[in-house]
Amino acid sequence: MALLYLILAPYLAWLVWAAFRYPVPLSYNWRSLWQRKVSTLSTAGAISVVVAIFVVVLSLDQGLSRAFVSSGRSDQAIVIRPNSRVELSSTLDRDQLRILKTSPLLASDAGGPLISSECVVVRSLEKADGDGSANVTVRGLEPAGIRMRSQVRLLEGRWLTPGLNEMVVPRRMQGRFMGLGLGQKQDFGGRSWQVVGVFDGGGSAFDSEIWVDVVALMQAYRRTMFSSALVRLGSEKQVGGFAQMVDQDKRLKLEVRSEPDYYADQTKAGQPIRILGNLITVILTVGAIFAAMNTMYATVASRTQEIGTLRALGFRQHEIMASFQWEATMLCSLGGVLGVLLSLGFNGIQTGATNFQTFSDVSFAFLITPGLMFKGLAFSLFMGLAGGGLPAYRASRIPLTEAMKGG
Amino acid sequence: MKYLRLVLRSFLRSKRRTVLTILSITVSVALIAILQSILATLNAFANNPDASNRIVVRHKVSITNLLPTRYADWLRQQPEVESVMGLQWFQGVYIDRSNFFPNFASEAEFVNTVFKEEIVEYSDAQFREFLRDRNGALVGKNLADKYGWKLGDVVSLKSELFPITVRLTIRCIFRSKRPADELALHFNYKLLEEGVSYMKGRVGTFFVRVHRADDVPKLIERIDRHFHDAVEPTYSETENAFQLEFLKMMGNYSAIIQMITGAVLVAILIVTANTMAMAIRERTTEISVLRAIGFRTSQILAMLMGEGILLSVLGGAGGLAIAWLLAGAVRGYVGTFLPYLQNFHIDAGTMSLCFHATLAVGTLSTFIPAYRAARRPIVDGLRSL
Repeated sequence: MALLYLILAPYLAWLVWAAFRYPVPLSYNWRSLWQRKVSTLSTAGAISVVVAIFVVVLSLDQGLSRAFVSSGRSDQAIVIRPNSRVELSSTLDRDQLRILKTSPLLASDAGGPLISSECVVVRSLEKADGDGSANVTVRGLEPAGIRMRSQVRLLEGRWLTPGLNEMVVPRRMQGRFMGLGLGQKQDFGGRSWQVVGVFDGGGSAFDSEIWVDVVALMQAYRRTMFSSALVRLGSEKQVGGFAQMVDQDKRLKLEVRSEPDYYADQTKAGQPIRILGNLITVILTVGAIFAAMNTMYATVASRTQEIGTLRALGFRQHEIMASFQWEATMLCSLGGVLGVLLSLGFNGIQTGATNFQTFSDVSFAFLITPGLMFKGLAFSLFMGLAGGGLPAYRASRIPLTEAMKGG
Repeated sequence: MKYLRLVLRSFLRSKRRTVLTILSITVSVALIAILQSILATLNAFANNPDASNRIVVRHKVSITNLLPTRYADWLRQQPEVESVMGLQWFQGVYIDRSNFFPNFASEAEFVNTVFKEEIVEYSDAQFREFLRDRNGALVGKNLADKYGWKLGDVVSLKSELFPITVRLTIRCIFRSKRPADELALHFNYKLLEEGVSYMKGRVGTFFVRVHRADDVPKLIERIDRHFHDAVEPTYSETENAFQLEFLKMMGNYSAIIQMITGAVLVAILIVTANTMAMAIRERTTEISVLRAIGFRTSQILAMLMGEGILLSVLGGAGGLAIAWLLAGAVRGYVGTFLPYLQNFHIDAGTMSLCFHATLAVGTLSTFIPAYRAARRPIVDGLRSL
């Protein structure tokens, strides 16, 4: 896309220059568009649909990426078994954790060193819309683990009491799954867990996780191994040092990954959406360009006489061409603006998909960012340039005598 | 029919406009055909008639929990059961992660009976070799061709789920009915059991093959009842339901595809209506002349509608042709990371959908301008002469 504009840049520059240098007034074009309301609106309407589809499909990918990207702090790191990639398939034993907990590089607060040993399991939950069930991540963590995730805020109830069978759930999941209301209970691991709090993960991956106490979870699942450890270091720069220390310690055999890195890896879950989005975009753009071309040819044909008048008044051929090119661009941008407005209706709608790396559900929302809206508009502009070029050229080449006759 | 020439003449009156409109419909219909075929291909996985007599048994809590392998003993004693195989998704990576294909640790001696419909053609001698060699692998022809593997080649798979890398020797190559089924690799379950301590005596799923498909519901119920109070309770379902669960994991893709299809149809409706309105507007006088010399309103309406429908159906046919040409590319490109789409093809249902949709677009888009033109007072039309 950027490349296309790079190629078109000289042409665009010429257009802007032409509009100021020898102006066939732009308001003439704008009024001409409204001379043929139905035709203009239907073309703009078709283009708006194309732009809206483009923006909405890519907003899914944006929402998914946001969920992962906003999850990490750059001064924190996740410790997992080498080659396991995700916490779910990683294992850490108590001896390894004891060594990690005594590291001098850890940051600490009033509650002690900031390290949380965690255990991640997957549990299937009934969906609220009755459409079967989906796998959900259940994370067992220590109180420090809650403090370390600074983007997470408690909305209702209270945090966990260590050792008890309690859970806190994200607000976003409450609408998508059954039985997550405050005070309700869920059975898993042979125990009954009560919801004691509701939190807001601020759009991060934690919006898709149920949190419980790690000790209680490991007892319930009869596990002796943790999944991972989350550590906070004094500063961002110490992450490398910590990784080196862990790497050199022969007793550990663990892998340290900075938290943003770890989550950025998981945005690959959005790849199918991205590819689908691009496929749709390419195909539909071609269609929209044909439609715009059609309308512009019709416009040119019906205004032969006007063009003749303009020429007789002294406007030159390339000025007429620029003028019609501007008209096409206006037409398509109008569609672009409409399309972006249409797509805004989707912003914030909750949905979910499975992250195949962790085999569990991710809750996220359609996210229409200003950048995406800008892309949508840039796109409609491109359709205008590509669809308007040939008709505008034709308009400028109509012989004067023929034009004056009225074709 | 005798007015066909007239319809064709007016259809070709403005060639550029007709061609541009047809092209615009063509690409849009191509998109619809591809998206709908993706949907149909995915749904076919959850609707596989070959799987009708297979049950998948997994842990009740989730697919990631493990079941004891001894459950297979009880399952094999049930009179309805033909064969039972423990199967574990291995998620092995060959060289790097872009080379994705499904690979399983399976109870080798049952693999060709449970998957009788998938593992169709193979040589018995090769299969015996596969059983005899603990490091042996059974691979589909498609997969073997893709990487140029031959019998006796060594393939190393590094699991992303288990702390193990297996080195397998290709011992048997099989063929199946559907190309997607030929992408699988099976190896001996014992290799995983011995390599990973916590997998000893444990497996993710059992595939149960039943003699008669009618016995499936009863057996599902009996299996779950039998293991209901066990430490590891089970959840059984038909293989199709199991596949459907995986498809659902991709999110509400079917709603997205249907939404896009709807939006694209609206867009081509607008485009076609615009073209037809233009075509009819410039013929106002002509139409009035036709009526003045005695053509009836219904005849004019029929001719104009015929033109609109011809336009959209030609576009639709072009779209299907392009989609058909692109099908190979979709299989090759998208199919590598979404193996489900290895079976991608434009099916009859999609074709009929596209045909009907374009027919509807042609009718709807032409009706209003055509109706207005046909009903316009003759004098008005002639006045602009």
